[in-house]
Amino acid sequence: MTTPGLQIEGLTVRHGAVTAVSNASLSAAPGEVTCLLGMNGAGKSSLLRAIIGLAASDGAIAVSGRDISQMATEHRIRAGIAYVPEGRRVFPGLTVAENLLVAGPARNADRQERLATVFELFPQLAQRPADRAWQLSGGQQQMLAIGRALMARPDIYLLDEPTLGLSPRVIDDVAESLARLVQTGAAVLVAEQNAGFAAHVADRTILIQTGRIVAPSGAA
Amino acid sequence: MFAAQLALNALALGSAYALVAIGFVLVLNATTAVNFAHGESVVAGGFAAVAIAGLLPAGIPGIVLLPGVLVVTALLGLIIAGVAYLPIRSRPPVSVFVTTIAFGIIVTNGLNAVFGAAPRTAPALVGSGAVEFLGVTVSLQSLAIIATAALLIGALAFVLQRTQLGRQFRACSQDPEMARALGIRLVRITLLGFALGTAFAGAAGLLLAHQFFVSPSDGGILILKAYIAVVIGGWGSLRGASVGALLIAVFEVGVASVSSQPVAEAMLYIAVLLVLFVRPEGVFGEPQRVRA
Repeated sequence: MTTPGLQIEGLTVRHGAVTAVSNASLSAAPGEVTCLLGMNGAGKSSLLRAIIGLAASDGAIAVSGRDISQMATEHRIRAGIAYVPEGRRVFPGLTVAENLLVAGPARNADRQERLATVFELFPQLAQRPADRAWQLSGGQQQMLAIGRALMARPDIYLLDEPTLGLSPRVIDDVAESLARLVQTGAAVLVAEQNAGFAAHVADRTILIQTGRIVAPSGAA
Repeated sequence: MFAAQLALNALALGSAYALVAIGFVLVLNATTAVNFAHGESVVAGGFAAVAIAGLLPAGIPGIVLLPGVLVVTALLGLIIAGVAYLPIRSRPPVSVFVTTIAFGIIVTNGLNAVFGAAPRTAPALVGSGAVEFLGVTVSLQSLAIIATAALLIGALAFVLQRTQLGRQFRACSQDPEMARALGIRLVRITLLGFALGTAFAGAAGLLLAHQFFVSPSDGGILILKAYIAVVIGGWGSLRGASVGALLIAVFEVGVASVSSQPVAEAMLYIAVLLVLFVRPEGVFGEPQRVRA
């Protein structure tokens, strides 16, 4: 029987001689927010980048029981993972609508349908479809980055420090966005150093310190 | 009337230069690498036109050769990507400089061996002759060059702005790693950039080869002009490269009309040095616009 969601076993990530993540094992279940809590340099970003295939790693990574650890990044995306990176990294010269469409499926009708759904979920984006992404505020760019991930309708969302540099009011908006992602039945794994935010949004919290998982917990 | 005539000549030359510069930027945006074999790709387009015309009945208009030239040079672009870029793309940029320069030298010598060193000419695009418009005599070749370049640039703009492939291409040029994290295949975009960019260079070769002739050693001067157009227009900007190319042509034609071609060339390089001194980001280039 396959286990739904994301499962990681014995993951090690090295950047040259430096071990960023050491023998990490964790899981993220569908319909839950799992928070990977740790300080700067704890290895959170490296772990997420390894899951998506942007950083080389050893160990097992499975999506709904299917091993993806040997797959190229584009195949991992197709296996059902979407990634919202630290710093948003929206495409500044593309419009809001183009930033969303570029992450959509091959069929134009499907892309347009998903675009309409994202605009429904994020009315602030719907008001500025033709604006360039660089013209948006930090909070709006974060919404755009989350909306862009939604365009792929994945089973698993990876979010890297989604509250970084945002005001408390905008952080509330991000928390609301995460709740919407969970409502789709997806598993959400959030890397955070903001313990208050983690306590607010997480169903489960996992502590990471200097590249090692030190405290998996049950229900928060 | 003389000024109008000059302006039209400049527009025709600028249109061909714009294709060269746009092709250069397409590869630059797809890879962040400079393809130093780009000038030789223009020359290859000119010789492809000469060769294909040799297989067809005499007197055939050059515009008929355009699809064949585009296909041949697009394939050349794929070969450049496969031989001189993809195998070493993770190495420092200087490696790509060296491999593309080497590839350009191979193309030059190959063309020299096959066609000889003497300049050759391709057929006129729609025949020789001129038409009179509002008192200005306009050569058919100039009009055909402008129309052909406008058609190709319009088609490219449509692909880049209105299609998913175009959006993916622009996303890759802005943040390749993030584009990859969205599932976009970077190798596919790289190959597209080389194929399209080199095809644009090849089309320029066809457009220039009738009036200005083509010889195997012309590549160096052509890439220099593409480079200058991109410097003037702002690094990586397709629109800026087109405007830069037009300005180069206006400058060359204008100065040459009151002095000579060598003086116009020398003045062009002095003007570029001044531009770089005053505005290192180019005349139309803008600093990176990122809002926190």
